Amino acid sequence: MAFCLPGAGLYSAMVIYPLLTALVYGFFAWEGTTRGPFVGVGNYLEVLTRYPISSELGAALLHNVLFFVGTMAIQNTIGLGLALILHRNPRGKRFFQTLFSMPFLISPLIVGYLWSLLLSPTFGPVNAALKAVSLESWAQPWLGEPDLALPVLILVNAWQWIGGPLLIFGAALGGIPQSLEEAAQIDGARPWTLFWRIRFPLLMPAVGVITVLTFIGCFNVFDLVYALGGTSGGPGGSMDVLGLLYYRTAFRGGSNAIGESSAVAMLMFVLIFGVALLLERLLRRREVQL
Amino acid sequence: MGTRWTKAAAMAVLLGVVAACSPGTAGGSGSTEDQGGPVTLKVWGWRQEDVAAYKKIFKLYEDKHPGVTVEYVPYKNTEYDTILKTGLTGTNGPDVAQLRSYGLLQPLAAAGSLVELDSTVPELKEFSSDVLDGARSDRDQKVYGVPFAIQTMHVIYNKDIYAKHGLSVPTTWAEMTAGFDKLKAAGVVPVAATVTDTWMLPIQQEIFGATRYGGIEQRDRMLRGEGKFTDEAWVASIGTWLSTKPYWEPQATGVGYDDAKAQFASGKAATFPGGVWEVAGFKTANPQLNIGVFNAPPAPDAVSQKTLVPGFVDGSFGVSSKTSNQAAALELVRWMAGAEFGQAFTDELQQISPVPGVTPKGEVLAQAVKDYAANPSPYLTYAYFSAGTPGAWDLASKELSNAVLGKVTPAQAAASIQRGVDQWFKPKS
Repeated sequence: MAFCLPGAGLYSAMVIYPLLTALVYGFFAWEGTTRGPFVGVGNYLEVLTRYPISSELGAALLHNVLFFVGTMAIQNTIGLGLALILHRNPRGKRFFQTLFSMPFLISPLIVGYLWSLLLSPTFGPVNAALKAVSLESWAQPWLGEPDLALPVLILVNAWQWIGGPLLIFGAALGGIPQSLEEAAQIDGARPWTLFWRIRFPLLMPAVGVITVLTFIGCFNVFDLVYALGGTSGGPGGSMDVLGLLYYRTAFRGGSNAIGESSAVAMLMFVLIFGVALLLERLLRRREVQL
Repeated sequence: MGTRWTKAAAMAVLLGVVAACSPGTAGGSGSTEDQGGPVTLKVWGWRQEDVAAYKKIFKLYEDKHPGVTVEYVPYKNTEYDTILKTGLTGTNGPDVAQLRSYGLLQPLAAAGSLVELDSTVPELKEFSSDVLDGARSDRDQKVYGVPFAIQTMHVIYNKDIYAKHGLSVPTTWAEMTAGFDKLKAAGVVPVAATVTDTWMLPIQQEIFGATRYGGIEQRDRMLRGEGKFTDEAWVASIGTWLSTKPYWEPQATGVGYDDAKAQFASGKAATFPGGVWEVAGFKTANPQLNIGVFNAPPAPDAVSQKTLVPGFVDGSFGVSSKTSNQAAALELVRWMAGAEFGQAFTDELQQISPVPGVTPKGEVLAQAVKDYAANPSPYLTYAYFSAGTPGAWDLASKELSNAVLGKVTPAQAAASIQRGVDQWFKPKS
């Protein structure tokens, strides 16, 4: 038990204490950095009812959900596909795993700035290349078109993190006993059936881990969106997410910025914590044992 | 048993940490200055890049005031407001502080952290009332700072491109757009506009739309509560600004602030609608650039028939109410309201000084000062309707971007801004 003390102390100081202070701060009105009177859930009511933050909360939450769904559909599906290909063709496996995981090493802020340069309609090489091959009509203001901005965000994010599902699924595929796959093949299972009946059920623990990690990552995203679209989430706020909304409330809010942003932070925490728990439970139920 | 002890230990650690870090414990004790001896005045500010210039400027003051040392203490721009708020509550703070203008000044003045200057700095009477608005408290209508810089907004243009295409500074709206048409036909982007960085949009809207809503008169009506953003004239000014859209880069919705600046600095675009503060950056980016400024002549159906120049006060210098050197600090800000400081400020920092009678040396700045003095116009959303939350400037940045994208009509954009402002704005009687 004594072994736990240093760790527990650090954890309390670094994680639990800030969480508790945010909880406490959210119940007070603030005048700059001076704490004012206790207002109970006043700050929560304020951010949930005052225009325009009340409507921005809903829009930002929707964008987070779309971002999560899009990332699951694109990044994690392609990641699984790539893991399967590498599983079947072990030659060059290490090389490709390293290659796809390289963007991990770059800060999301830098990734964001790089891609905003690449996609710039004035000086960016992406549109210049499209024009060079006579695909001018394909050249778009990628980050300036409300319908395109969020898909572009999902793709850029996938570009950076695709190595994650690739590695986790790769390891999980390696853990499936070959005898099971061979037995199914002898019984006449086609590749499609083999995947859905044998491999996928055994991959469920990995799917669960990746889903929960993706969920937390997608709902906490800030730096990449900030670099691609600024504090307001691009034109028309089409990439506005909860992280940016929190940032605007905390650093561009009025004199009660600390109170209101703490309330936003607590709402985000409760949402992410609650849904992550729920996801974990749901996915755990679908796992099968060998 | 074991887990109970673990829990108890964890709680103890937690409580200890909470107690040690609990907020609100005022730090530091006051230092008492020897009133008769040498005095060091600390001037806090957010301009880290200006330290050398301020050293030179304050040297002028120190030479004439033996025994007084003036030290400019800069903080990081983005952290300054928080640091200043804390600094002004104790005696370890500044004697004199650089203050933000308009809305951001209000909490400091309301908290009693500053000394009112109407009675102690008679030089302020020479300043125009519009300029003093930037340092005035909404609560008691008193002035709490000596304004130090004015920022103006123009169509910044490339003189060489204009000359090459046989264009001169337009005197009518039709002449301006005819010039843009000619440039566009010649393959030059007429207007380097940005949409991605939405904070630039209220600036562009003022530059092209000010004459359409009328500038100062509309502001005064709105401050009295007789006018609104939803008034026909203000709504129409959004349309006036959007009517320049055909002259923007075709994919302007994806163009960021830095991209637009690079377009202008590299000579790919003929004009850049923006603040006079951009000029120095353009000169650094491309020393060969031959820059001039003009303002949009009265637009079709304009309320004002003058070529209005939008501008605002950038900030002021105020005296902390906690300083132990109040007399010396007041003496310093009185000097800052005079011609010697004003001239040194504009010469050293290449900015416009609001001190009456001071003229900048640079040609572009001199032009900007002259035009602004002749036909000033407010930066309505930023200066006058952003003291509360949500501020009109934030709302306008968002809604004007929606209007550019066609997601809302100008009337809907204006209604949203008004709806936000109505939650806190109280008309002045």
